[in-house]
Amino acid sequence: VTALLPVLVLLTSLLPAVITFFVRQESHRLRNALSLGGAVLKVALIVAMLFAVARGASYETEIPLAPGLILLLRIDALALLFVSLSAVLWLLTTIYAIAYFGTKPELSRFFGFFSLCVAATTGIALSGSLISFFIFFELLTLSTWPLVAHKQDEPSLRAARRYLLYALPCSAALLWAIVWLESSTGPVLFTEPPDLSGIDPMSLKAIFALFIVGVGMKAAIVPLHGWLPAAMAAPAPVSALLHAVAVVKAGAFGVIRVIYDVFGVERVAELGVGTPLAALASATIIWGSVRALRQDGIKKRLAYSTVSQVSYIVLGAALASPFGIIGGLAHLVHQGLMKITLFFCAGIYDERAGVRTIDGLNGLGPRMPWTSTCFSLGALGMIGLPPLAGFVSKIYLGLGGLQANAPWVLPVLGASTLLNAAYFLPLLYRLWFLEPRSDARGNENAPALVGPAVIAALGALGAGMLAASPVSPLDWARLIAERGEMR
Amino acid sequence: MTLWTGPLLPLVALVWPLLLAALTVLPPLQGRAVRLLPFAPLPALWLAVTGAEDVTTAPDLLLGVTLGLDGARRLLLGMTAALWLLAGLAAQPMSGRPHTAIFAGFWYLTLAGNLGIFLALDVVTFYVAFAAVSLAAWFLIVHDRTKQALRAGRVYIVIAISGEVFLLLGLLLGAAAAGGVDIAAVRAALGTSGAGPVAIALLVAGFGIKAGLVPLHVWLPLAHPAAPVPASAVLSGAIVKAGLFGLILFLPDGAYGALLMGLGLTGAFGAALWGLTQTNPKAVLAYSTVSQMGLMVMFVGAGGAARELTPFYALHHGFAKGALFLLVGVMLAARTSRQRMLCLALAGVVAASVAGLPLSGGALAKAAVKPGLPDAAALLVSLSSIFTSLVLVWFLRRLWLLPVSDTPSTQTPARFIPSVLAAIFAFAGPWLFWAGWTGRDTFYPFAATSIFDALWPVAIALPVALILLRQRLPEYPPGDLLFLMPSWRLPKVEAPRQTPCAGGDRLVDLLPQAIAKADRFLIRWSISGALLPILVFGFLVLLM
Repeated sequence: VTALLPVLVLLTSLLPAVITFFVRQESHRLRNALSLGGAVLKVALIVAMLFAVARGASYETEIPLAPGLILLLRIDALALLFVSLSAVLWLLTTIYAIAYFGTKPELSRFFGFFSLCVAATTGIALSGSLISFFIFFELLTLSTWPLVAHKQDEPSLRAARRYLLYALPCSAALLWAIVWLESSTGPVLFTEPPDLSGIDPMSLKAIFALFIVGVGMKAAIVPLHGWLPAAMAAPAPVSALLHAVAVVKAGAFGVIRVIYDVFGVERVAELGVGTPLAALASATIIWGSVRALRQDGIKKRLAYSTVSQVSYIVLGAALASPFGIIGGLAHLVHQGLMKITLFFCAGIYDERAGVRTIDGLNGLGPRMPWTSTCFSLGALGMIGLPPLAGFVSKIYLGLGGLQANAPWVLPVLGASTLLNAAYFLPLLYRLWFLEPRSDARGNENAPALVGPAVIAALGALGAGMLAASPVSPLDWARLIAERGEMR
Repeated sequence: MTLWTGPLLPLVALVWPLLLAALTVLPPLQGRAVRLLPFAPLPALWLAVTGAEDVTTAPDLLLGVTLGLDGARRLLLGMTAALWLLAGLAAQPMSGRPHTAIFAGFWYLTLAGNLGIFLALDVVTFYVAFAAVSLAAWFLIVHDRTKQALRAGRVYIVIAISGEVFLLLGLLLGAAAAGGVDIAAVRAALGTSGAGPVAIALLVAGFGIKAGLVPLHVWLPLAHPAAPVPASAVLSGAIVKAGLFGLILFLPDGAYGALLMGLGLTGAFGAALWGLTQTNPKAVLAYSTVSQMGLMVMFVGAGGAARELTPFYALHHGFAKGALFLLVGVMLAARTSRQRMLCLALAGVVAASVAGLPLSGGALAKAAVKPGLPDAAALLVSLSSIFTSLVLVWFLRRLWLLPVSDTPSTQTPARFIPSVLAAIFAFAGPWLFWAGWTGRDTFYPFAATSIFDALWPVAIALPVALILLRQRLPEYPPGDLLFLMPSWRLPKVEAPRQTPCAGGDRLVDLLPQAIAKADRFLIRWSISGALLPILVFGFLVLLM
């Protein structure tokens, strides 16, 4: 049975997805039961596996698709970090989405693709070989598109179109990189470092660049980030999942895989491509924050914040020092918790108060205290104020920069903190200190919307408060680094 | 999983205020949140009086919390806890006013941070405590929500966040150099490592902001007058000491000594002079604080024995300045001229102590530090007493000129209690710890040379002050350097104006829109959706 565990984990999302497509629009109960059932089952499986993997277990399944093409699914500590995040946040988002959409049209389509998107993310996390990774990466590209276009109005369709315009060429780059690499090394498994000595350094650099273009687009690395702020046209639950887990994290995770399991840290250092990538990530961190300053839409501001924050993970991976990678991996989870909180709240403001722009936030704090408290926690965490999760990432990334002999990381982190404060604090000031507008309305009598936000916010608080405890994301990141799953 | 090791009391001292903060959220307590304020620092006070010097660890909290006490920590922890207790008592009349639940909640948070600074043995806990005290204090400053308070809050938050960043980067450099988070190890490593000078400069900036070091002090004369009286008392008495203690903790002996002494003296004399241009008694006091903190920073810069005795000096200043601020509150509430006279007299006594009148607590504080200083610096300390006397006489005048309260206030006599207690502590505290801290005998302050040394600056100051009181001095708004720098635009916390977001991200829009045809692809959702995974797999199989 244990050999089938990876497949089971994948199926908990894939099966509900496929079945949901054939559920009639009116059958809300059935559809909700499918989504929730899959999500709960998945979380249960993950929790069980967390204990086993912490003790050193790992699971692997090979599915031959065709001669020479094996779908390899593998669960180890690194895969589990990403799967746990996506499973828990999927459950929260499902609860939220059910309440958010109510009985709006086209829900079978939505929840089908929603589950499919999560299945693809799970697949990306579990992939044990480069080709499996690519399959799921493309599945993710395609299953996300209908979610972005869900509202079927002009902005959504434009956003979805833009997403594909970015995604498809970058997928081609990724495929090119894989084919180029595997044509000389044979199939690449993440557990066994491929022998790259047969390829000349120039080609290797080019392959690395193609890989980064291929996966970096999903991580919204500048200049491949343009699709992300546009994609905020999607409904709030989609934005929440997209920004916290599914797409951007898949990209960041891809960067980690490429650096550590395809090339290996030594080879990356030898080729001298780590520093340019770290510099690119730093530029993205600053650029995203600077752009966020000028956004009037709440979700748009959050979207640029994501551009900036996801590059923390890329930065940590590119620094390739032990502390750096711990910081990056921890931030994978931390950013997920904080950003999903913010997007949940942005959705609540939109749904329950009709507020989409920052000047609409005036005075909403006392009217919607739970939502606004969660929003404040998420924002303060993003700035990196202790004891919220963000400060832990920042400390580790800073130490990682010093460890990697790249002290210029410190000013980048400092500037990012100041910029984050500059675009988040005014929102909090508006929420709690300004008088509400005369036409302000709004209440938060929606436990299924507010509940997930509260849980995610508590998660972000707990991840920082208890960072040193054995149940924290940081501790799991340390475990991954110690086991040498990152070579 | 171990929850904690070592004595529990240090942990309780920090968790207890946080617990009270959580309680203020409960609706039944919201109206009466202020009533509980005096209870918050009690465990910390008890710890300072009785606590053993064992190390407490809570390995799971944050990045591993370690707490402990030593001589300097105990002294400042005790002073801080006692002052917060007195200020909590003085805050009682606020009960029932608007927003007091928020005020109380952040009061507890600031308090917990302030206590944590004196208990933390590791860098991360220290940083968290410092952030708590810095940022939660913002809510104390803006509590009245007047235009003036919000403006002070704007200046404060920009400077405080910048301070946090300096501090974080400096501590990171220090922790990397030390290869660990133990504060003592970090200080040792800062003295030897190559990155030391940069790290120390960052730390001086981060702590200097909190300690009111010139030219980073500009927030202080705005914030202290804007806050409600009890909050000003802790801001000026206890919170600024957090920055000072940070300098004492982290700076290697003598690092940037000349610079710190220079800046400290500039503050000591310059701020006292600028204080003479203020009309608000609380602003005068704020400048006096900048001046006194400048002296203390100078002691730290001087290193050696003077630096070791800085906490002793801070003990007196904390209580004395707390008492003076609380007396402003008393004066504002006083109705009869007898009450006003009593208040003024009390303020005069405390002011004399700060100026260093012989046998007062302030005289002891100065006498303790001076032998450790170079002769020239010791002379400058004496000279600064003249300026301190002048600015405090000015304060007394401004205090007396406060308008008589026309709103009926109750229990005015009871309002005297916290300030009287603070004044007593300011006088008695240095006597109590004199022998233990200085190693000199109890009668040293009575010696003729000691008396003369303390007396002559005050003797010079008094006639000058009498002349001064007859003059019309120029009146300037608080904030000095903020206004001397025309390029400094007060950063607005309001959101930026509507700016159409153009350019940068529109690359793709320029491409032909032929892709719109793909919309039709979505016509049969259920079929295409279910087929999607199969198609992707199939495509790849074909490809290989």
